[in-house]
Amino acid sequence: MSRSTSRLHYLSAYRPPIAFLQMKLHSLAFHPQILFAIIVTHASQRTIHDLSNDFVWRISELLILDSRDLCDLADDIGHVATRTLLMPKILRSKASIALSPSPAPSLSPSFTMESVVHSFVSPPDHWLRSQFFPPMRTTAVSPLPIAYRSLPSSLCYAEKPTIAAAFPYSNSVFPLSTSISLPSSCRSKALFATPDAGVSSETSVWAMQDFYTLRKEVEATSQRVKDIRESAGLEQLGEELAKLETAAASDSFWDDRTSAQQTLMALTDVKDKINLLKEFQAQVDDAETIVNLTEEMDSTDTALLEEAANIVKELNKALDKFELSQLLSGPYDKEGAVINITAGAGGTDAQDWADMLLRMYVRWGERQRYKTRVVEKSMGEEAGIKSATIELEGRYAFGYLSGEKGTHRIVRQSPFNAKGLRQTSFSGVEVMPLLPEDSLNVEIPEEDLQIGFSRAGGSGGQNVNKVETAVRITHIPTGVTVRCTEERSQLANKIKALSRLKAKLLVIAVEQRASEIKQIRGDAVKADWGQQIRNYVFHPYKLVKDVRTGHETTDITSVMDGELDPFIKAYLRYKYSESMAN
Amino acid sequence: MNLAILARSSPLFTTSRILHRSIASKPFSCCSISNSPISINPKTPLFLRPPTFSATLSDLQKWQNWAKSIASSVKSSFTDSDNGPNSNDLHRELNWLIEDALENPQSLLTHNEFEIDYVLRLRADLDELYLLWKQRIEKRRPFQYVVGCEHWRDLVVSVEEGVLIPRPETELMVDLVDDVIKENEDLKEGLWVDLGTGSGAIAIGIVRILGDFGRVIATDLSHVAVQVASFNVNRYNLQDKISVKQGSWFEPLSGFEGRVAGLVSNPPYIPSGHVSGLQAEVGRHEPILALDGGEDGMADLLHLCNGAALMLKSGGFFAFETNGEDQCRFLVDHMETIHNGSFHNLEIIPDFAGIQRFVTGIRS
Repeated sequence: MSRSTSRLHYLSAYRPPIAFLQMKLHSLAFHPQILFAIIVTHASQRTIHDLSNDFVWRISELLILDSRDLCDLADDIGHVATRTLLMPKILRSKASIALSPSPAPSLSPSFTMESVVHSFVSPPDHWLRSQFFPPMRTTAVSPLPIAYRSLPSSLCYAEKPTIAAAFPYSNSVFPLSTSISLPSSCRSKALFATPDAGVSSETSVWAMQDFYTLRKEVEATSQRVKDIRESAGLEQLGEELAKLETAAASDSFWDDRTSAQQTLMALTDVKDKINLLKEFQAQVDDAETIVNLTEEMDSTDTALLEEAANIVKELNKALDKFELSQLLSGPYDKEGAVINITAGAGGTDAQDWADMLLRMYVRWGERQRYKTRVVEKSMGEEAGIKSATIELEGRYAFGYLSGEKGTHRIVRQSPFNAKGLRQTSFSGVEVMPLLPEDSLNVEIPEEDLQIGFSRAGGSGGQNVNKVETAVRITHIPTGVTVRCTEERSQLANKIKALSRLKAKLLVIAVEQRASEIKQIRGDAVKADWGQQIRNYVFHPYKLVKDVRTGHETTDITSVMDGELDPFIKAYLRYKYSESMAN
Repeated sequence: MNLAILARSSPLFTTSRILHRSIASKPFSCCSISNSPISINPKTPLFLRPPTFSATLSDLQKWQNWAKSIASSVKSSFTDSDNGPNSNDLHRELNWLIEDALENPQSLLTHNEFEIDYVLRLRADLDELYLLWKQRIEKRRPFQYVVGCEHWRDLVVSVEEGVLIPRPETELMVDLVDDVIKENEDLKEGLWVDLGTGSGAIAIGIVRILGDFGRVIATDLSHVAVQVASFNVNRYNLQDKISVKQGSWFEPLSGFEGRVAGLVSNPPYIPSGHVSGLQAEVGRHEPILALDGGEDGMADLLHLCNGAALMLKSGGFFAFETNGEDQCRFLVDHMETIHNGSFHNLEIIPDFAGIQRFVTGIRS
């Protein structure tokens, strides 16, 4: 009790900035009740209205999950302003999700909130409780499992986009574990047990050498942040930002819509990048603050150190991803992607393999939270697919996927063969950027194009009514061919096929360092096609191995479930070092 | 010269009208949505209906799996019997049906198997979807009638029983007009005519490439076609530029002799003898009035040629769709001999599949 009190005293004396508290809330390193107490102390000095909406929302999110105790708490401390502000939110959320479980009184023995709060706030107004809270007590029922499954996803969808938009890899800076991990802890009876564990067992976990290790890690991370900020050219970015902002503010800015839009997009990019770099600094500063505080104080504070360790861990992940995005500096890397999968020769086995690849890439796209659509799929006779086209909308989709181009080979016992013989099949994967129409301002001379329309045979015209309006365009000088079948009219298919062809040629031009499409060497294009890039062995052992990078894993199930990131990263690093070597 | 002489009055004309009536008035047997085809108001295409129905994801998936499996069971049987669609074509159609029937088709993809209770909003009752797909497979009802629309060029035109479904080949007609008005700016601001407009697709396609003063008159003998064409014209907000008139070929055009800048038509051109052997979607469901071109399929085409000589102004352009090479040659011969000197730049233009499909020319 006395220790807890002193802890809170220290915190209230320290009076951490709101941003710091928000971070705590995100990672849930603090006991919610402690947080509440902090809020209240804040509120008594400033007003609760100073808190950002987002912060209040997050608090109420926490409150939902252990509403009873916290409502009691609000009652006990009689902080009417706080409660008035939070109650509608609580009630609303309570109505919208199935009710939270009635938590067992689970305050840890070493720490009772009431006593803590009483030590520095006014005595309770119990009449308030009867007026505001009876419904919550009586309606608490045990939850349905399904409600739990839907709760976290809805919560994390709600807050996800801002983060995902700022960064291609999700889960970057702010761990979403807040909303994801809570339900599982809800299921266990002791609602507060998980976050509380660190607080109650202060001495056992953290020995001095752990602290030194942490300090070292924090120092190393700090250095890393410094390096990254330098190499990313934070100062130049600032200058660029100023330049773009001046351009955007000019009167004639909207005269040319296309260039205006491009400027605005560049502006967002620069801003995002600067914010991200600032965020890195803020995070590492927080970790350093904790380490310094601990050094000044006599005793170690487990929760704080856990917090610091957590920050460092997450920050390093975010830094990894940032570095990776630096590898994606190709002119089209930022764009969305179109993947085209074609079954190789070999009938049903190959078609089934193409289908497995389709599923793999769709899963991958969904994991990245890209808008993933299978726009075209041509079914195999028995099973699987002959071909399929996926469109992935989202930043850097093409950059990540461009290395997937090539032939993918599978070795397994054939499921379509009574004897279960070992069978090798192939499927081809093509990747092209999903470019906005106006960025394709390349003119291809009409005579370089061979446009074929698939139409049902016979007399055509009025004699036939078929919905097949496929268009196939071949760029004669290079032999590059695209086909488009997913649109519902011939013209629409032709337009789409042409833009895909242009996208494909532009990428090839970049690969060959040709300044324009005319310079593309057709022979090189043909030779480059169909290079085998990866082996997937299901039998007699399990192994996925990339032919180019040598990266491999035995966890073939995860790979087929879309866990492609290690392969993608390995390839990007490989490509980067190759380009450096040249 | 009296226009009535030009109006077609062959015995075939009467029979085909009767045939059309008999088809049109026959109610669609198992069709619960049967607004009678001779309704005054055209049916609303599925994709434009309000999403007032709903179904759970699992129920919709059940329907989808059922529809997929009966589509798969077709294999190549339709193709073998009358060059109809195979399973692949039908799977594609099924996806489009889902696209049109769901308020938010993406939701089918983004929700996984754990959310079977997720409720989707539909533009048609699930029972109706079962019925529609059954009609598609068992009755060979054309997909475009099932969903009530056809994507044609960059347009989505409403269609229903009694109106010919515009064909992909015909998309090229608009390109032909585009080419000619680029050469002759004068035609761009003139009066254009689409004879036998059907759904109004060509008229709408053309008017959108004409200039500010360009106008189109679209005619059709069929009442249903006039209704549907008017609906489509209104939907694209072109009622000030296109007037849809009911009547046989040139009948509604009296007073415009020698003043027409361009004349296009996709008239019935299938020889009567071929009609019975047509793909079921076409022969059993599409209006015979729009298909049957008489014994050699040339009855209406010849009539149009004669009319073109009368209606077009000097420098005016015409384009007709035909059944193929033989008809194209015949038409060109006819124009060169009968209307000697009336036309120049007569051309035969192939469609995407390489079949000689269009005859074009300029009035001297």
